[in-house]
Amino acid sequence: MHELTFFRTWLPVIYLYGVGGIIFFSGMVVIFKAKTIKRERQRHQRWIKILYFGFFYYLLLHVFLTYAALNF
Amino acid sequence: MEQVIHTSPMFWIIIVGYFALILGFGSYFARYNKDTNDFFFSGRRFSWWLITMSIVATGVGSHSFLKYSAKAFEHGFSSTMTYMNDWFFVPFFLFGWLPIVYYTRIRSIPDYFERRFNRNVRILATIAILGYMIGYIAIGFLTMGKTLQPLLGWDLWTIIWVVAIIAGIYITFGGQTAVIFTDLAQGFVLIFAGILIFMLGINYLGGFDIFWNALPPDFKLPLAHFNKPANFNFVGIFWQDGVAGSVGFLFMNQGLIMRFMATKSVNEGRKAAAFNILLLLPISTVVTSNAGWIGKAISIVTPEAWDATVKLDHVFTQVAALVTTSEVVFAFIIAAVAAALMSTVDTLINAVAAVVINDIYRPIIKDRDEKHYLKAAMFISAGATLLGVITTSFFDNFPTLYEAHGFFHSTMTPPLVIAIFLGIFWKRYTTLAAVATFIVGAYLMWLGNAYPAFLIGPFDHGIQMNPEHPYSYIRALYNTLVCLTSGVLFSFIFTRKVEVRIEIYTAKVVANARAYFNKHDANATSTRDIYYVVWGGFCKIVNSFVKNAASDEKLDGITVWTLDKARELFKGSMPNDEPGLEPIVRWKIEESDESFMRFAQNQMEEMAANVGDLVYVSDKRKWLGGLKSAHSVYAEPHHEDGVVYLTPDLVDAGQFVQGRLLRAEKEM
Repeated sequence: MHELTFFRTWLPVIYLYGVGGIIFFSGMVVIFKAKTIKRERQRHQRWIKILYFGFFYYLLLHVFLTYAALNF
Repeated sequence: MEQVIHTSPMFWIIIVGYFALILGFGSYFARYNKDTNDFFFSGRRFSWWLITMSIVATGVGSHSFLKYSAKAFEHGFSSTMTYMNDWFFVPFFLFGWLPIVYYTRIRSIPDYFERRFNRNVRILATIAILGYMIGYIAIGFLTMGKTLQPLLGWDLWTIIWVVAIIAGIYITFGGQTAVIFTDLAQGFVLIFAGILIFMLGINYLGGFDIFWNALPPDFKLPLAHFNKPANFNFVGIFWQDGVAGSVGFLFMNQGLIMRFMATKSVNEGRKAAAFNILLLLPISTVVTSNAGWIGKAISIVTPEAWDATVKLDHVFTQVAALVTTSEVVFAFIIAAVAAALMSTVDTLINAVAAVVINDIYRPIIKDRDEKHYLKAAMFISAGATLLGVITTSFFDNFPTLYEAHGFFHSTMTPPLVIAIFLGIFWKRYTTLAAVATFIVGAYLMWLGNAYPAFLIGPFDHGIQMNPEHPYSYIRALYNTLVCLTSGVLFSFIFTRKVEVRIEIYTAKVVANARAYFNKHDANATSTRDIYYVVWGGFCKIVNSFVKNAASDEKLDGITVWTLDKARELFKGSMPNDEPGLEPIVRWKIEESDESFMRFAQNQMEEMAANVGDLVYVSDKRKWLGGLKSAHSVYAEPHHEDGVVYLTPDLVDAGQFVQGRLLRAEKEM
C-alpha cells in the first residue's frame, strides 16, 4: 500500500483531465472547424451539449470518488 | 498448489444448457443472413439500444471479469480506470470517424486506406489489422482457459482447444446478426450476473459498511498511484489504455465498427456509442471489478475463508465460488462469463473473416456469387480460430492477463491508430507519410523494444523499468510519438506536389529500364544492367506507392473536412435535411424489377420528403429494434392515404409480416 501523497491522490486526476482535456477540446475545435457538427441544426445542438456534459460528468465523478475515498 | 473447485454434474448441466440456449438464440437470427453484407454488417438496420446492449457483451468480454478482478484484488478501485477514460476521443469518433465509415460504406478498415491512399497502403494496413485482431482473439482464448482451469483442473491448452472448437463452429454458421443477438442477450445477463456477485458478496461480508470500512483509503481511490508500481500505475495506463486503447477500440476495432455499421443511421450509431460510454461503461466497470474488491474485503474480514495461494487471474472464480451459496447460481455466473468471452472472440473472428474476404479474397477471386463468398467466409472464420489458438502461447508468458493485454495494446495499436487518425483529420497527410508511419514507425518501435532504457526511458514519467517486461504500459507513449513524428515529418518532406514529381520520375526510370532490357543482349552484363536492376526495381516499388496518390478528388468524403461530400455521395444527390414526421402506414406489394417505396402524397409532405430521397421503414413494434426493416428511395407518390407500396425485393429483405403496420422515416 502507498502513502496518501499528492502523487497518489490528486495528481492522477489533474493529469487525466489536463492531458485528456487537451485531447477532448482539440476534438471539439476540429469538428467545429470542419463543420461536421453544425450549430444551426437542432439535433446537433443537442449533441454539443451531450459532448460537454460527458466530459464534466466524468471529471466530477472522479473528483467525487477521490474525495469519498479520502474522507469517508 | 491451488486447489480445483469441486463441482457436481448439475453444475455442468447448467453450463452446457446455458451455452445451448444462447447459441440457439443467436442461430435463430442467423436466418436473416442473405449475403455477405448481412453476414458481416447485418444490413444496416438496427436501433441504437439493440446495438449498445450488444456492445456491452463485446466490451465486457474483451476486457474480462478475470483481468479486472485480478487487478481490483491487487490495487483496489483503480481497476476502474480503463473503463472511465474513453470520453476524450468521443468528439473525434462521433463526428469524424463514425460518419466517414457509415457514409462511405467502407467494408473494412484497410478499405479506408485504399480509398484514402492506394492499394499498397491497404496491404500494409491489412497486415497490421489482422495482427491486431488475431492477438485479441488469442487473449480471449487465454482468458477463457484461465476462467475454466480452476473448475476443470485440466491442462490450459486442452481447455483452449475445446473452447476454440465451440467458438469456431458457432461463428462459422452464425454471422454478424447471430453475434449481435447473442450479445444482446448476454449484455443483460452479464450486467445482472456482475451485480448479483456484488450483492451476494456484500451479503457474505455482512453489509456494505463492513465492506467499505474493511478497505483502506488507498484501496478505494479511483485512480492508481501516478507512477508506481511498474506493473500498475496511472500514467502508464493512461497512455496505454486511455489513449492507444481507447483510440484502438473506437477507431480500429473492426468488430466494433461492424456493429456501428449495423445501425439504421449515423445518428443511431452516435446514440449507441454515447449511451454505452456514459452509462454502461461505469456500470460495466463495477460489474467486472467487484469480485476483486469483495475478495480483498473477505481476505481482511474473514482470512480463514480465503485461499491465500489463489493465482491473481483466478480471483474471480474463487470469489464466485465463495459468495454463491447455491451451485445453480455459481454455475449461472460462470456460464454467463464464459459465454461473454465467447461473444468477444466470435465478434473478432467474424471481423477477421470480413477483412480477409473483402481485402484479400474478393480482389483475387472476382465475380463469384454471394454463396461462394459466404462459404469462403466460413472457412476463413475456422482458420482465424486456429491461428488465434496458436498465438495464445505468446501471451501466456506474462504474469497476468492485464499485463499481456497492456503490452499488446501498447505495441500493436500505435501505427494503425496514427495512420487512421492523421488520415481522417489531416488533409496534408500523404501516401508516403502513411507508409512511413507503418514502416519507419514500426522500426523505431522495434528500436525502443531493443533499447528501452535509452529510448523509452526519457518518457517514463518516473516509472521504474522492470527488466523482464520493460515499460509494458508507458511504451505506448513512446510508440505513439514515434509513429506520429514519422507521419508528420514525412508529410512535410513528401508533400503531394513532391509525390507527383516522384511519380513522374519513377515512372520514367521504370519505362527506361524496360526499354533498355527489351533491346539488351541477355548474355552480356554491364554496370548499366546493375543500375537498371537496382535503381529501376527500387523506383518500381516507390512508384507503386505514389501512383494515383495525389489528387484532391480522392479526399472527397474520406476526411473530416469533406464529410458533406460523403453524405452527398452516399445519397447520390444533395441530402434533404428538412425535419419531418414518422408516419405509421400499411404496406402492399407493387410488382417491379426495380427497388423503391411509393408513399401517398400526404405522407410525403408529413415526412418533408422528395422523390429520390432515402427512406427507412421498419415494423411498428419498436422492441424488434429494426430486425424487420428495409432501406430504399422514395418513388413518385400516389393518393391512397396511409399506404406504402413496396417492391418484392424490399418485402423479402425486410421480412415484413402481412398485416403488420410499418413506421416510415426519411433518412436524408
